[in-house]
Amino acid sequence: MSSADDGNPLLEGLRLRRSPDACAIVIFGATGDLTRRKIFPALYALALRRLLPERFGVVGVARTEQTAKQWIAEMKQAVREHARDPFEARVWRELADGMRYVATDFAEDEGEDRVVEALNDLDRQHGCSGNRLYYLAVPPAAFETIVNELGERRSTEGWIRLIVEKPFGHDRASAHRLNGILQQHFTENEIFRIDHYLGKETVQNMLALRFANGIFEPIWNRQFIDHVQITVGESIGIEGRAAFYERAGVIRDVFQNHLLQLVALTAMEPPIDFTADSVRNEKVKVLRSLHTPGPKSVVRGQYARGYIEGEEVAGYREEPGVAGDSTTETYLAAKLYVDNWRWADTPFYVRVGKRLPRRETTIAIQFQRAPHPPFAEIAGEGLRPNVLLIHVQPDEGVSLAIGAKVPGAGMSIRTVHMDFLYGGAFRTSLPEAYERLILDAMLGDATLFTRSDEVDEQWGLVDAIVAAWQRDRPNFPNYPAGSWGPPNANELIRRDGRSWRRH
Amino acid sequence: MPGVVAQVEKRLAELRVHHAEGTRTSVMTHVAWAPPQWAAAARRTLAGLEELHPSRTILLFPDARKADGIAVDVELKCFTIPGSEREVCSEVIKLRLGGKRTRVPGSIVQPLLITDLPTFCRWRGLPPWGRPELEQLVDVCDRLVVDSSEWRGLPGAYTKLAALFDRIAVSDIAWGRSVGWRGRLVSLWPDVKSITTLSVTGPKADALLLAGWLRSRLRRPVRLSHRSATELERIAVDGEPVPPPRGAALSASDLLSAELDVFGRDPIYEAAVTAAR
Repeated sequence: MSSADDGNPLLEGLRLRRSPDACAIVIFGATGDLTRRKIFPALYALALRRLLPERFGVVGVARTEQTAKQWIAEMKQAVREHARDPFEARVWRELADGMRYVATDFAEDEGEDRVVEALNDLDRQHGCSGNRLYYLAVPPAAFETIVNELGERRSTEGWIRLIVEKPFGHDRASAHRLNGILQQHFTENEIFRIDHYLGKETVQNMLALRFANGIFEPIWNRQFIDHVQITVGESIGIEGRAAFYERAGVIRDVFQNHLLQLVALTAMEPPIDFTADSVRNEKVKVLRSLHTPGPKSVVRGQYARGYIEGEEVAGYREEPGVAGDSTTETYLAAKLYVDNWRWADTPFYVRVGKRLPRRETTIAIQFQRAPHPPFAEIAGEGLRPNVLLIHVQPDEGVSLAIGAKVPGAGMSIRTVHMDFLYGGAFRTSLPEAYERLILDAMLGDATLFTRSDEVDEQWGLVDAIVAAWQRDRPNFPNYPAGSWGPPNANELIRRDGRSWRRH
Repeated sequence: MPGVVAQVEKRLAELRVHHAEGTRTSVMTHVAWAPPQWAAAARRTLAGLEELHPSRTILLFPDARKADGIAVDVELKCFTIPGSEREVCSEVIKLRLGGKRTRVPGSIVQPLLITDLPTFCRWRGLPPWGRPELEQLVDVCDRLVVDSSEWRGLPGAYTKLAALFDRIAVSDIAWGRSVGWRGRLVSLWPDVKSITTLSVTGPKADALLLAGWLRSRLRRPVRLSHRSATELERIAVDGEPVPPPRGAALSASDLLSAELDVFGRDPIYEAAVTAAR
């Protein structure tokens, strides 16, 4: 706190963390994988660091018939397995004391009554003051029913906020429809569409890097940048999510959301401040100006059998639940352009895929070559353009590739990396994205959440790409697991006289 | 015999050859002044700190009774980066100052500071007000970190400390230690605005600073009733106990670590010191 809020002079200068209001969080899909792997470990981490409100409770809602005691034990085990911190019984006891469970089909009125009862109980016993954060960790099919129920039963006491997980729609029309359902009952500032990439420290550091350092912004444009490469690679396959993946493919699973958010953060203009609307206004301008120059600038792929870290892995069509002749893409590379004054004619090469050799998310800003290196040709053999490399994951940090003289006689130049590693400079473990995002939602700060018009623009680009795919049948599979994608992805960038970054 | 800077640089170069894979990272230069009676405590505190704040640490162990001279000991402290096989290394430069060298630390420290990064000086025990060693380090450092609960002669020593405020930003670990309790007092607003007596069971420095803070913020006289204890144990406002803050008290390393994240002057603390006397 930096000012004498509410006329209280004792507040001034007190370095207290922003503390959320007393509230209850209601998790729909309380027995699901997301709740076990991400949401509860995040709540535990927040509890351990005393970032949750003192008056707080959790209501878990799911179809599974079990007692509250059983659900609490299940969540305790999930925290033990997935939390980034050692388990502390005292912290867990405090959290578990405010946990309730309701087994219900989301469509049942009687079940919704019991959710309300559980919340009223938390208000009485834990002083949650009627404030509600609803977390929809459910498949899209359950979404409409729950939103309508919540909207019809919304209380006038306290605030209400709604966290919505991806996928937010299947195309532009379905996203429109979902937004319509939400906006029937909730205002835009009550809706928190989660894209967990935005909760990552390194993604937020992109804003710090660009707008807190005077040296980058003057050269962050078409005059100095040759092109941008963004890679979102995963070494894992579809991990039993065939039903979802067959419908979504990589374009809806990752490209539409995480990857386009990275493009937007890289290309956006400086916001006037770091408020939710200012940041999102700038991002949406980028998304609105994005285009791909045509079908030849998009390459899709699907992995075949291959090797990852020495282990043979199945091809996509061999995965359980996947059709033997599936044409779902697991890889996508594209050349995108941002049609504005800053970026005109500067390509953004993006690639995203499953079963690539390693898990890696990077943004590489490749600058123009030095116009006239005064060294003899032989000296510059190893000289490459400067690259600013933002490691989103793993090895979170920033590297700058520069040319340096090799010690000794003559003038031999080599590329060396200057590294900033998060783990090196800041010796605290990075918070998980969900910790930051859940806390922000409790605080009512939507800066790191996606606004309806952003989603709309993202789907606009996806729809255009998918429309072109309707006209041809891909020759899948076309890349072996453990490779960096199909050969024509290399061709896509080689045509422009460039190449993907070496790995 | 090469000068102290040359000795340090030579030794650091040798060590870097052995830790070629370690990333050298610094976010500050950390100077610690630890007279003999504080040397062991300083080492203990730093042991929990180096990993949190990669820095060049210059540990000064002054002992005027020893022969004139400077003994140099340099080491790299390397820590594995979580989730990575890479290491990050911090430089620890230990300088034992004997004889008259104890009075000229500024000229020894200055060439060893990392350019463009902030310099924090942790002064163990009561600073020797007006003496050259303090004056010189105040001139070369950006922030002086003290723990006034290590001092005798309170509240009189706060007058001397206040005289430094226009020359160097000051952090006080005794002040940092009370932040949880101050949070509790904030939550008593508006009832707390008519307080007449603050009762504190805890270190004298912490009690004086809390009373000074209330006087300066509320602009009213506040009588202090103090019972000595090694930690802040109990606070009452006009006889009414204040609920203690949640969680365990922070360790010495954690408290110092928190102060090393602060830059610039703290006008609220400065006003509390002024009103504590």
